[in-house]
Amino acid sequence: MSSVTQRSRANRTDRSGEHGKEKTESIDFKMVTFSLGGKDYGIDIMKVKEIARLVNFTYVPNTPSFVRGVYNLRGEIISIIDLRALFNLPFVQKPNSEEESGLILRLDSNLIGIVVDKIDKVVGISSESIQPPHPIFGDINIKYISGVVENDGRLYIILDAERILGKPEANDSIEALLENNRALVAEQDLKPPPQAMQQNTRPEATGLGDDTQFKTFVIEELKALENFYVGEVNQAWFDLRFAEWKKFREGKQLQLRSQDDARAFLEGFLSPCTGQLWTTEYLDRIRGLLPDKASRLFNVWNPGCGRGFETYSLAVCLKNKFPDSQVKIWASDKDLLNISSAPNLVFAEKDVPDYYKDHVTQGKNGLSFSQKIKEMILFEYHDVGNHHALPPMDMVLARDLLSWMKQEARYKFFDESQELLKSGGIIVLGAAEKVPERDSWKTMEKNSVFFAVKS
Amino acid sequence: MRVEYINPFVESAYSVLTEVLNMEVHRGEIYLKSNSMSVLGVAAIVGLAGDVEGRVLFDMSQATAINVANHMLKEMGMEAIETFSEMGKATITELANMITGQAVTKLHNLGFSFDLTPPALFTGDNMEVSDHKVEALIVPIEMSLGKIEINVAIRERN
Repeated sequence: MSSVTQRSRANRTDRSGEHGKEKTESIDFKMVTFSLGGKDYGIDIMKVKEIARLVNFTYVPNTPSFVRGVYNLRGEIISIIDLRALFNLPFVQKPNSEEESGLILRLDSNLIGIVVDKIDKVVGISSESIQPPHPIFGDINIKYISGVVENDGRLYIILDAERILGKPEANDSIEALLENNRALVAEQDLKPPPQAMQQNTRPEATGLGDDTQFKTFVIEELKALENFYVGEVNQAWFDLRFAEWKKFREGKQLQLRSQDDARAFLEGFLSPCTGQLWTTEYLDRIRGLLPDKASRLFNVWNPGCGRGFETYSLAVCLKNKFPDSQVKIWASDKDLLNISSAPNLVFAEKDVPDYYKDHVTQGKNGLSFSQKIKEMILFEYHDVGNHHALPPMDMVLARDLLSWMKQEARYKFFDESQELLKSGGIIVLGAAEKVPERDSWKTMEKNSVFFAVKS
Repeated sequence: MRVEYINPFVESAYSVLTEVLNMEVHRGEIYLKSNSMSVLGVAAIVGLAGDVEGRVLFDMSQATAINVANHMLKEMGMEAIETFSEMGKATITELANMITGQAVTKLHNLGFSFDLTPPALFTGDNMEVSDHKVEALIVPIEMSLGKIEINVAIRERN
C-alpha cells in the first residue's frame, strides 16, 4: 500500500467526512477497511503490518476451526485466523491453493494473519467521530468492537484487534475455556486434515485465539524441557490437561519455566503401574483386550519396557491366559541402565500381588521371576528409532513411549507395527495415548484402555 | 541387541586391552547406532554365527593402530614398526581375535553358543560400514595410544 494513495484517499475522505453537526477537522485515525459477510469493518492501521494475498496455508491439527493454519511470511511463521469463521459469518471456503485476501496484524505479543472476504481501502477519520458500539451490531460480540464510524456514506465497524486476537483478559471465565477445550477434544477426534479443514462454522469458536497461543507455548516448552512431543497420540490428553492446568495455575504464569513445571504438567500422564508390577485390577483390564484363543505361538513386541516390570507382568498374564501357547516377548529399551537390570529384576515380597505368587522364586537378593517366565522374554538394548528384525507379532505393547518420540519417528513406528502385526493382533499404547486411525486396524476402547486391532 | 550380550564384549575388551597393553584403559559411554558410519582407517572384523548372526568391528585410525601394535610388540620384546606393515596388521588382527574370543567364551558360560570367523582387516581412507536392519552397539575405548571403537552388530536368529 503506497503512502501516496493513502494520503490522497485520506484527504478526500477528510473533505467529505462530515456527519451530523461535527466536522472532522483533523485526521488522526486511519483504518484499513474490509468486508466480512457483506458488512464493512475497519482495523486501526497502526495494528496492520501489511495487506497480503494469503495462499497455501499449512494445516495444523487440533486447532479450532477458525484457525486456518500457519503461513510462512518470508521466513516468519505466523498463524492465520479466518475472521469469518471466528465470527460465525457465512462464507465459502476456497480451496487451499486459491489466494485469500488477508491482513497481517502486529499485535503487542506477536504477528497474526487474518483472512477476510475483501480488502477495501484505507480510510482516514477523526477519532472524535468514532461512536461507541451499539448492541444492534449483533453479528459480532460487542466486546470486540471499539466503535462505529460513518464515512463517505458507509458505516464501518471498527474492530479491536488486540481484544480479539491478543492475550486473554483476566475475566475470561475458566468454565468457558474448559467448555471450549472439551468441545475441541470431542470435535477433533483424529480426523484427517482435509476433512478438518472444511469444518469452519462452529458456534463456540469466539475468543479462543489467545488460548491457542498459550497452548503453542506449552507444547514448545514440553518439547524443550522434557522431550515430550504433543501430537496425534496424546493430543486429547494434552487438551484436557491444558484446561486443568489453566485452572490450577489461575492468575499465575501458564508457561512452563522450568523442568519442575514441565514435570508438574506431565503429572498423571504415565500409565497405571509404571515402574512396578501390574496390580491384579490393571492386569485384568489388559487381559480383557486379548483374543480368546491364541495359536501355538504368541509373539509380543514391547518396546520402551524400562526396567521390565510391565514385561514380566504381561508375561505372567499371558502365561495364565494361554497356558498351551508358546509365548515370546521381545522387550527393549534404549536406557542402558534400566534394560541392563531387567533380566535379573528383583523385588521385595510386599510388592508382589498374589496373582504372581506361583511364578516367583526366592533368590539371595530378593524375589525374582521363575526361569519359565524369564525364558519367555528377550530383553534387548535397542532404540525404536533404529532398524530391527522381528518376527510377526500378535501384540504390540508400547506404553508411554511414543509421546517422547518425534512425529516422524511415530509414523515410522506405526508403519513398523502395522507390518509386524498379524491379522487380529492388537496394539496397546499408554493410558493417555490413543492409537491413531489407520486403514489396516480398527481402534477401540475397552476397560478404559484404548487399543487397536489389526484387520 | 540382547542385553546379556553387552557385558561380555565390554568386559573382554577392557580386560584384554589392559592386559596386553599393560596400561590404563577407559571405557567411554556406550550407545546405539543404526545408520552407516565412517571407519577411521583401520578396521578389524570378526564374524559371529550360531544363536546369532552378526559381526564385531574394531575401528581405529592408522596412527592408533601403529601405536597399539608397537606397544604390544615392545611388551613381547620385539622390534617396533614405523609403517603399518604386515607385522602391524597381524598384531591388530590378533588383538581383535583375542577380544572377540574372550567375549564368546564368556557368552558360552552364560549359555549362548557363538562361533567366530577368522578375523579380516580392512585399511584405507574414506571407508564406511553399513548394516542392513541391524543396529550396532558402540563401545568406545580410550587410551593414551588413541581411541578404539568396538562396533558390535548382532541379531538373534528368528
